Amino acid sequence: MSTTNDKNGSKLDDMSIEAIEAELKQFEIEERKRLGLPVDSAKQWFDAVPRTFTRDQREHTTILVSGLTMAHDLFIQAALRGIGYKVLAMDVPDNDALQYGREYGNRGQCNPTYFTVGNLVKYLDGLRDRGMSKDEIVKNHVFITAGACGPCRFGTYVTEYRKALRDSGFDGFRVLLFQQTGGLKQATGEGVGLEMNPTFFWGVVRAILIGDVLNSLGYRIRPYEVEAGAADRALETSKKIISDAFEQGTSLPVALWKARRELAKVKVDRTRAKPRVGIIGEFWAMTTEGDGNYGLQRFLEAEGAEPDIQIVTSWLLYMIWQGKYDTEQRANLRGVDKAKDEHGGSKFSLKGVDVRKRTASLWAGEQVLRGLFQTFAKAMGLYDYHLPDMDQIAEVSHAFYDNNLRGGEGHMEIGKLIQNVAYSKVNMTLSVKPFGCMPSSSVSDGIQSFITELYPQGIFLPIETNGDGAVNVYSRVQMQLFKAKQQAQKEVDKALADIGMTMDEVRAYLDKHPSMMSPFHRSPHKAGCTAADLVYEVGARKNRLSFLKERVIARVTSKDEKSHAEAHERLLAVARNAAAKTRKKNSIVSVAPEIEGTEAEDAKRPPVPAGRKSLRVVN
Amino acid sequence: MNTPDQVVIGIDVGSTTVKMTVVDPGSKEILWSKYLRHETRQPEMTRDMLREIHAAFPSLTKDQIRVFITGSGGSPIAPQIGAKFVQEVNAVTMAVEKLHPDVGSVIELGGQDAKIIMFKKNNETGDKTAQTSMNDKCASGTGATIDKCVLKVGMPREEVPSLKFDPTKLHHVAAKCGVFAETDIVNLVKSGIPRNEIMNSLADAIVSQNLAVLTRGNTLKSKVLLLGGPNTYLPFLQECWRLRIPEAWAERGYEYDKTVPIEDLIFVPKNSDLYAAYGAVLFGLYEPETVGRYRGLEPLEEFIQHGRKSKLGESAGPGLVEVSEQRDAFVDKYRTPDYDDAVLEAGKTYRGVIGLDGGSTSSKCVFIDENENILKKVYTLSKGNPIQDMKDMFRDMRTWAADQGATLEVTGFGVTGYAGDVLERSLGADANIVETVAHMMSAKRWFPSVDVICDIGGQDIKVMFMQNGDVKNFRLSNSCSAGNGMLLQAMADQFGIPVKQYAEVAFEARLAPKFSYGCAVFLDSDRVNFQKEGYAKEELLAGLALVLPKNIWQYVVQIPRMAELGRVFVLQGGTQKNLAALKAQVDYIEKRVPNAEVYLHPHCGEAGAIGAAFESLRVTRRRGKTSFVGLDQAIDIDYTATNDEKTRCNFCPNNCSRTFIDTKTLDGKTARYISGFSCEKGTVENLDALKVLNKERQKRMKQYPNLVDYEAKLAFKSFYEPPVMPSHGTPVDDVVVKRTLLGAVRHKPVQRPFQRASAEVWAKRKDVRIGIPRVLNLYSTGPFWRTYFEVVGIDSRNVVFSDETGEEMWQAGCKYGSVDPCYPSKVCQAHIHNLLFKHHEKKPLNYIFFPSITHIPTFIVNQMDTASCPVVSGTPKVIRAAFTKETDFFAERKISYLDTAVTLNEPLLCKQQMFDEWGPLLGLTSDESDFAIDQAFKAVQAFEDEMERKGREILDEVTRENRVALVMLGRPYHNDPGLNHSVLEEFQALGYPILSMRSLPRDPETIKNLFAEDLAKGIIESGLDVSDVWPENYSTNSVQKVWAAKYAARHPNLACLDLSSFKCGHDAPTYGLIDSIIASAGKAYSALHDIDANKPSGSIKIRVKTYAHTLMLLKEKLEDQAVKKQELDRSMTEKKLEMMIALQTKLAGVGRTDDKLDRAIKTLDEQVAAWRAADEATKPKAKRPQALNVMRQ
Repeated sequence: MSTTNDKNGSKLDDMSIEAIEAELKQFEIEERKRLGLPVDSAKQWFDAVPRTFTRDQREHTTILVSGLTMAHDLFIQAALRGIGYKVLAMDVPDNDALQYGREYGNRGQCNPTYFTVGNLVKYLDGLRDRGMSKDEIVKNHVFITAGACGPCRFGTYVTEYRKALRDSGFDGFRVLLFQQTGGLKQATGEGVGLEMNPTFFWGVVRAILIGDVLNSLGYRIRPYEVEAGAADRALETSKKIISDAFEQGTSLPVALWKARRELAKVKVDRTRAKPRVGIIGEFWAMTTEGDGNYGLQRFLEAEGAEPDIQIVTSWLLYMIWQGKYDTEQRANLRGVDKAKDEHGGSKFSLKGVDVRKRTASLWAGEQVLRGLFQTFAKAMGLYDYHLPDMDQIAEVSHAFYDNNLRGGEGHMEIGKLIQNVAYSKVNMTLSVKPFGCMPSSSVSDGIQSFITELYPQGIFLPIETNGDGAVNVYSRVQMQLFKAKQQAQKEVDKALADIGMTMDEVRAYLDKHPSMMSPFHRSPHKAGCTAADLVYEVGARKNRLSFLKERVIARVTSKDEKSHAEAHERLLAVARNAAAKTRKKNSIVSVAPEIEGTEAEDAKRPPVPAGRKSLRVVN
Repeated sequence: MNTPDQVVIGIDVGSTTVKMTVVDPGSKEILWSKYLRHETRQPEMTRDMLREIHAAFPSLTKDQIRVFITGSGGSPIAPQIGAKFVQEVNAVTMAVEKLHPDVGSVIELGGQDAKIIMFKKNNETGDKTAQTSMNDKCASGTGATIDKCVLKVGMPREEVPSLKFDPTKLHHVAAKCGVFAETDIVNLVKSGIPRNEIMNSLADAIVSQNLAVLTRGNTLKSKVLLLGGPNTYLPFLQECWRLRIPEAWAERGYEYDKTVPIEDLIFVPKNSDLYAAYGAVLFGLYEPETVGRYRGLEPLEEFIQHGRKSKLGESAGPGLVEVSEQRDAFVDKYRTPDYDDAVLEAGKTYRGVIGLDGGSTSSKCVFIDENENILKKVYTLSKGNPIQDMKDMFRDMRTWAADQGATLEVTGFGVTGYAGDVLERSLGADANIVETVAHMMSAKRWFPSVDVICDIGGQDIKVMFMQNGDVKNFRLSNSCSAGNGMLLQAMADQFGIPVKQYAEVAFEARLAPKFSYGCAVFLDSDRVNFQKEGYAKEELLAGLALVLPKNIWQYVVQIPRMAELGRVFVLQGGTQKNLAALKAQVDYIEKRVPNAEVYLHPHCGEAGAIGAAFESLRVTRRRGKTSFVGLDQAIDIDYTATNDEKTRCNFCPNNCSRTFIDTKTLDGKTARYISGFSCEKGTVENLDALKVLNKERQKRMKQYPNLVDYEAKLAFKSFYEPPVMPSHGTPVDDVVVKRTLLGAVRHKPVQRPFQRASAEVWAKRKDVRIGIPRVLNLYSTGPFWRTYFEVVGIDSRNVVFSDETGEEMWQAGCKYGSVDPCYPSKVCQAHIHNLLFKHHEKKPLNYIFFPSITHIPTFIVNQMDTASCPVVSGTPKVIRAAFTKETDFFAERKISYLDTAVTLNEPLLCKQQMFDEWGPLLGLTSDESDFAIDQAFKAVQAFEDEMERKGREILDEVTRENRVALVMLGRPYHNDPGLNHSVLEEFQALGYPILSMRSLPRDPETIKNLFAEDLAKGIIESGLDVSDVWPENYSTNSVQKVWAAKYAARHPNLACLDLSSFKCGHDAPTYGLIDSIIASAGKAYSALHDIDANKPSGSIKIRVKTYAHTLMLLKEKLEDQAVKKQELDRSMTEKKLEMMIALQTKLAGVGRTDDKLDRAIKTLDEQVAAWRAADEATKPKAKRPQALNVMRQ
């Protein structure tokens, strides 16, 4: 600092270069104004990303949830209420929500984005219409949603939520992002509003699993109900019983048992030949139960089909599978790649990761999940339900849709299609592709058309959902369903011929064996449709003695499993052969199979590098 | 006719007709049949036709009748008459199987949709199964599109059936969707292409589109049955199928019976209309006896009377007005003042200017006197030739004056619109301005304080936002949002209502169906659905009017907070004359903008023409004379339009079919206007002229470099010189990996010798040829792959990239796809085709390598992940499926196709992935492969460095010279001129250098300066961070785009051009972000979104011209500011000097000194003295203010 030598001058401030600078600044502003030059620099845009939710706000803050099926949303609401949160599950998104999404969202978004984003804005707009002020709405609500780190747009939903909320006049509305991997993004520090503790997870996981079990049961029972509406009534009562238990913290097993008792009252007739239709596709579009997929599940039921749905648990298993696959793929590398920090690196890096521990915990996680699911399933009467084998799905699809390609359902849309056909799990497969979905409508659709070439016997239909044009979609579904119905009828006719009975005889047999008429009864899987399975089972059981004998023999020799496995293997072999053909490549050299210790065998050859084995080029 | 005991009725309720057949179930013989247009009265027509059947078979009771119904309008009617609904394609399939057992495939084109049925034999069971596919929503409207285009080209209906297909004269038409096709057709009409050629081009486009997409990559097997209205009634369409299908057969090596004449292989059967109705009956015969029992006509009558209406109320919204008083009040307020052409005084000469707007569907012309009064308006529907339109209108104008005994003296002529260029050249127009500017000038004349101008024409929607009396920003409908005005008109036509009565009818509706906004095709398919549900015409018209503002504000403008745009809105354009459409818009705006003032332009249809006239007035006043040839000369102008082989452009593979419009002026000269070309080369007539043009181009390229183009070339060149690979045995560091029994991983560092393959293997590698498509992320990673292969010993000439994307390439190789993603992904099939059929043919390829790149590293910091787009990374897999589905195109040529999944963000994993793939194929040792990967990464770095160096040069230069440079915001593949439609070149031609995102300098110093304020506020830790605007930043290419937008927002000399492809999923979330970033900083910005295969030249031109206007203003502002900044600098220095001297004097007063102060004064004094000396030198007599002479005191 340059000052004068005067120590006692009272006007020291006036007499410094600094003072001149300060005065000059003012002069500059005036000069700029005079010359018409900008005084301030341009205001740059900044997104504040509001997500502060603290413990003391909990009392007056409603946490909004939505996005899964009606049963799931209800149970999650109840589970979180049960542990002391104010929670509200919003309605299933409808076409009005889509319109809101389109108005306030970016152009060219995928349909699930529009529906889910629009649903929130629609709800808040409703609050505003009913007289709540914007400040109250913003102060007293938070929305919690799942997110991901890409690679598809699922990861940017929250960007879209913020944009839509800003543009619809809800600046500052908090959207908390629950990362699929890595917890909740919210303000950290003391007293977070939403505690991601074991109690929270235990509640959510049970809500999801029980929701899955109840949905699966519903889709098994409803198509065969004798009295129209009976299944829905029983399901509604069950939902109430279970959600009350969650909310009031009463015994869940008792509630499940009570729910089961309700469902058991539904009378079913499974001798009606109904094609089983597997619904696969993009996660949200195939899961939602509203306008987002034209109420596809209900439509199929109305058209006389039995929908075979995908459950949320499968998605959790897929997450675990990803963790396992990505870890294993990197565990054998010669070193570790740079871990993600602010200057690049990869979030997949194993730097500082105890591979053994991670593998073990993923394995344990999967076992717990599967175990819990089956426990709930058995408790509620969902018998013989096979959770998907993620490794097999990955294996059969890899050559067509590389397991490293992610986003949406990734290779699963291919793998599930192959399984559906190869295991005759269903009579027809519907792949639901929301308009604009990148992995589903632009990638897997193209590969599925190749798969259908491999399996001409499979009835497959990809449908694009965009919120409008329901008539066209229904028409296309009906078109394929016609074939599926014929196929189902053929299966039943063949089954009857195989066992040498008429349907009336089968019915007579069933009348005498009420246990097989239970809504929970599940015949062993033989064909695509349920009625054919039932016929085969009756055929096997009609001679009680030989049935028991065969069952014992089968148990001992695992004959059934083996023959099943063989039949499936034959069909899976089609995919595997095609994959092998795809993998076959011409080499300019002959390469010996990789063998350890080539040194000893061929002293003249240079030593094999440590770590990764090198190839032995023969010529 | 003997009436059997039982009959089965098949009914087909289509989108335009009802068809019925009465069939004897025993013999399956058709006893009675009929088809009629239903004019949207499906239930009534069904009832009437059933009555006819009752009359024809009087003895039949209803118990003897079964009914099966099919068609898009069938389902609501089915329950009323007891019919069972049969899905249409199933019905057709049944009919075809019965009537033509030898048919291999069926193509049915309807009004709204297209269906293909392919019969396939299951080799296992020997069964014949029918595979069916229908077009998705985006590609619908086939029959309807043809209908509309017939109208557009102005072909009399009776002429259509006699049209012959001529494959030699085809022009580009995108048949991807109806609106795209219409846009292209409008452009062809404007270019004066003969209408038969346009119709043929449309037919060809529809056929190609169906063959490319609807077959989902399958080959249509012979025989091919053609069904549906268009196929039946348009012989030229049949001829086109007969040409294109055998071509596809030949290409795919499909064997068919060549002895059968083609007319029998691909044929239209008799009674093809009745197939669905007949098929429904056949279907019904499989159903149990109890199904489809006829209920008689009573329930249908009841439904027609009451049932429909009560259902509608549930889902409909309110109409335009609730009570008629509202309508009257509105009409009173917005009725445009009555306009009548001026009455002229006989014998008087009127001086004035003519403004002409050559619009998309109509042309308008005005005569304005020198006091800016409108004396005469002329309007004509475009007849496809802009010169002829002009002549007709001018003649009208002259006659109008002559009839009154007056004379017109035209002192200026201004043009705008599609026809602007041709008229400027041939008539010597004084002004040729872009429509947006014309509209602005016209709106400002009546409403000087206007904030927003919204112009709705037949085809385009243009919205301009004003600031300080000039266009600040604008939005323009693109191919996906065009044609709204036209749709209103077409809808009125469909109901037989003159468009002038549209509003009158629509105001009658008290409820309206809720259309979902979007493109015109979507709206039209909604319309069909609503009609089926039973909405009346007034309700449909009201609903369509109500959706218009949504389309404008939510689809085109995309700015939800309208109030921020201003308060004064001016609505103009021909469509605004429709008061129903206007009411919908006024309500929409008033609901969202408090205290809005919404005005209707008093001459809304002629706003463009008026603007052009004003501009010519301004120009001629300044210039003092006009260049216009004169009214009489213009009317008498001779022209010839030639479009034949001679006029085809052969300067590039596009071979555009051009039209030469030669106009003869009275002094005997010829002015040639060339239309129909897609690039600059098409503007010249011969080779010499091309040479001149190229020379000009080269010069311009040098002066205003285009780094996007440079980057596109460099990415695939061999430019990186790698160091020599270590020799065999050189010690290298390595890591030994061990897995324990329980799966733990142990790493142990070791040193060991480098391993190389033998010399023989290296020799073999040299000749290996690897083809790589020049697509997608290869545009940013090209150097990586090239270097990898070169380092392991492959000759650089043997690393072969496919050609740049071009129209010809796309046309040749577009028929493999089974999905319809974004164009950049879709075009990959054409690149693979190019490698297989061009490069491989020339010299065989051993491999085609198309890596599935899953992750791409980035220079951005703090990024969540580095993911590629899932479509981009998955496309190599889709391509494999497409090229191996029926025939394995690779195996046939002994080529291995490799679509290796690679992550470039984890070098070790990448090494493993590449070695696993290429090691066994090329006999690589892992050391060789790893070394090559290391070099490949360095090559990418060198590529980036080079781009940055180039960018810095340009940016420094434009900063120094106060000029503007454009930065292209896009994804890597937008560097491909075939994907960016060479739009950057247009700006280059206007004198703006083009930067790519990669070439923006990122050295720490630059970044620190540019982002200084954000860094100071602490909202980011680095200038390379985008989390301040986008925390969910995991997609590398999107994030870089957002970063570049931030960069441009902060750099005074940069303006942005944002490119984005149609259906781009990863760009969608960035639209709002980039908009906020740019808008907040008040920067110039233009976007070209929804880019697809077709080049919408017309709309690109408007964008380029309008943006050029903005850029020019920006450049002027920069120049002005530079001068002012100098002035500021000087006045600041002088002020500082003055104050310092005052301080020095004060200090001296108390007997003190300050060395630092003295030194500073000295420096400043020298500076001021230098300025003064300069002043003296340039202006010897200029006086400086006395205050500056302080030093002399």
